[in-house]
Amino acid sequence: MPQIIMRTLAEIPAGTTVTVSHLDSHPDTCNRLREFGFCENATIRCVSNGSSQLICEVCNTRVGLNYTTANAIVVLPSHE
Amino acid sequence: MKSTVPSPVINTIALIGNPNCGKTTLFNSLTGLRHKVGNYPGVTVEKKEGTVSLGTRDVTIVDLPGTYSLSANSPDEQIVSDVLFGRIPGTLIPDLVIFVADATNLERNLYLLSQIIDLTIPVVVALNMIDRIKDAGIDINTTMLRQEFGVMFIPMVASKGVGTDLLIAALDKVSLNKSAIRQWSVPEPVKVEHEELVSMLVAIEKMPEPAAFHEAQLLLSLSGPIESNLRSLTVETLSHIKMDHHNLQKLGVNRHSVFVESRYRWINSVYKKSVTHNIARRRQTFHDSIDAVLTHRIWGFVIFFALMAVMFQTIFTWANYPMELIGFGFDFLASRVSHIIPEGDLQNLIANGIIGGVGAVVTFLPQIIFLFLFLGLLEDTGYMSRAAFIMDRVMSKVGLHGKSFIPLLSSFACAIPGIMATRTIENPRDRLVTILVAPLMSCSARLPVFSLLIASFVPNILVFGYFSLPAIILISMYLLGLIAALTTARILKSTILKGPTPAFIMELPPYRIPTLRNTLIHMWERSVLFLKNAGTIILGVSIILWFLATYPKLEHGTSSQKLAHSFVGRAGHAIEPVLKPLGFDWKIGIGIISSLLQREVFVGTLGTIYNIEHADEANTSLKEQMQKDKDPVSGTSSFTLLTAICIMVYYVLAMQCMSTIAVVRRETNGWKWPAFQFAYMTLLAYVGTLITYRMGLWILS
Ligand SMILES: Nc1nc2c(ncn2[C@@H]2O[C@H](COP(=O)(O)OP(=O)(O)OP(=O)(O)O)[C@@H](O)[C@H]2O)c(=O)[nH]1
Ligand SMILES: [Mg+2]
Repeated sequence: MPQIIMRTLAEIPAGTTVTVSHLDSHPDTCNRLREFGFCENATIRCVSNGSSQLICEVCNTRVGLNYTTANAIVVLPSHE
Repeated sequence: MKSTVPSPVINTIALIGNPNCGKTTLFNSLTGLRHKVGNYPGVTVEKKEGTVSLGTRDVTIVDLPGTYSLSANSPDEQIVSDVLFGRIPGTLIPDLVIFVADATNLERNLYLLSQIIDLTIPVVVALNMIDRIKDAGIDINTTMLRQEFGVMFIPMVASKGVGTDLLIAALDKVSLNKSAIRQWSVPEPVKVEHEELVSMLVAIEKMPEPAAFHEAQLLLSLSGPIESNLRSLTVETLSHIKMDHHNLQKLGVNRHSVFVESRYRWINSVYKKSVTHNIARRRQTFHDSIDAVLTHRIWGFVIFFALMAVMFQTIFTWANYPMELIGFGFDFLASRVSHIIPEGDLQNLIANGIIGGVGAVVTFLPQIIFLFLFLGLLEDTGYMSRAAFIMDRVMSKVGLHGKSFIPLLSSFACAIPGIMATRTIENPRDRLVTILVAPLMSCSARLPVFSLLIASFVPNILVFGYFSLPAIILISMYLLGLIAALTTARILKSTILKGPTPAFIMELPPYRIPTLRNTLIHMWERSVLFLKNAGTIILGVSIILWFLATYPKLEHGTSSQKLAHSFVGRAGHAIEPVLKPLGFDWKIGIGIISSLLQREVFVGTLGTIYNIEHADEANTSLKEQMQKDKDPVSGTSSFTLLTAICIMVYYVLAMQCMSTIAVVRRETNGWKWPAFQFAYMTLLAYVGTLITYRMGLWILS
């Protein structure tokens, strides 16, 4: 069985498009993330990824987050 | 046959939508008011009312802060749900909601829309920013959206006033009796539990159905103990909710996410049907490269500080000319007054007391205008959020996050909007820490104090080409404030307001060319406010001060001896022992005390006192009078470069502002925190100035 590599958003290099697999954090943080558009199956494009924070595009909007937050977002390579 | 029930009329309309989607822009265009608009999320943090005319009737319209959902994560978002659920005493639940949606970002906007529709309040959607969808490569089928949601979608460009007439016409057509239907659904077992809880909340807790519908979702997806959520529910309901949680768990349902996910699933299906994306992202990649530079982990900081430096240098150079003009104007006025009014108390009061005091302050108007021009540009271009984003790295070191930087940056203008802006911060402790340190950021009221002292005592030497020594000293003062604020936050966050560094997530709006109109309006309003202060508080203080500095009169002697004999002179000498260690003489002491109300009064006070003291000399400027001032006993200059720097350090650190204290009291619901803040800042100012003075003396010797 091929192993699908799951990574968190923090590990995604700039320019890559990924899909949200699931969220893994405190339920309140997860719901906040969902309200921003980071819900399961959403497509995310990583715009830039610095040393402790990153910018990505979700639902056509740019969102900035730090690694603590980005680590809560588990992603899969995009199937689009 | 006619219906016997009178058809209901609209009384209040609420504007609701995500942050930064153009609610206030639309509000301003509907009401003709001029509330603050800016290109970053969290500009509006209060409920603001106005009236809009619907054909024959005037209707109240309410502008609200932006929110991503009705879950109310922060105080500003709380206001929105409080209004919708009628939790604000004296405010009616709106009869109709104008839902403002950003067309370029519909998917996320529709989430909140669907929550509003659930409340069974009639809704009209203002589909704003239609001018930008072409660039974003989006096509929207409004007929489809209307069919799916059951509400009207009116395409608009609020910033240009396009579509407002259609919107008003649509408001007239909305039937208040019939509302849209809830379309999305959750899996069957969850639905059963949810419906059960809704009827329980209605029956036992006496909630209206729409509120119960929303509340039941929150209660079912709640994390942590229910009791700690400060909801006053009956024991019966509480135990029922606990049982529900248990049941859902057994069914293998993730109750925390099931509602959000189900809703998103439905929205996603509607979105796919009604919005098409073309692959035309040329502009997007352009924005990508701007962002790559502006938020770069090194260049981002370099650019931020370079922007600040250029801003303060420019404030100095550009404002100089109009400032001199205003100065001449007041001198001319004073000399005319001396000609028209015969010599005596009245002449002295007007020429020295009033014109001296008010004139000294008003001279700084051009600098204030330039400061607001710059800050306005930062806010309108979209840079504000980027600054907050790069600063998150620094802020997280002191235990806050990037969002706290926006209030701090706004405090460069004035601490009051800065403190209001903390309402967007989710965590109450972090918000409190930000409120407590925000007044350490140098506000526009300190600018006249800094400028006067710098212009009088800092030699105008050019360093590094463009920058002059005065500008560098000025920047250092602003930096000192920033460092003091961050250090204090660090201390507070690791002692009395301990807590983990919060998760940071923030929307970065698209870059926009600022509209001149917005910036001009804002500059105009701040100038009017500044002049109003000069015309009221500073005028009042000048008159009182003139009286206290003139009486009791000494018949013979120089004007300087007369001043020393007056009430002010005596009071000044009484407090001198406290100020001596800081290197301040009694005149500076009077300046500091009179400016407890408001910082720029210091400049007015010195203007009045020096004018009275030098009344027997020919017209000289305040600057020259200060430079020439000698200590009557030792004969040394009472003002030196070191004194000037000490005064500036004092003003950077001290809380000399009544209005800020009042706002902090309101925002923290009590006197405890403003009292604490006043105490710590005064202590900090005294100690900071003492250290500066001692170090200065040591270096000079
Ligand atoms: N291109 C374009 N820009 C717009 C339009 N309407 C508003 N804007 C701009 O969008 C930005 C945000 O506008 P605001 O009215 O402050 O938004 P808001 O929804 O009140 O924002 P918050 O109070 O922060 O929730 C400003 O820079 C406006 O100039 C529009 O129709 N088209
Ligand atoms: Mg607004």
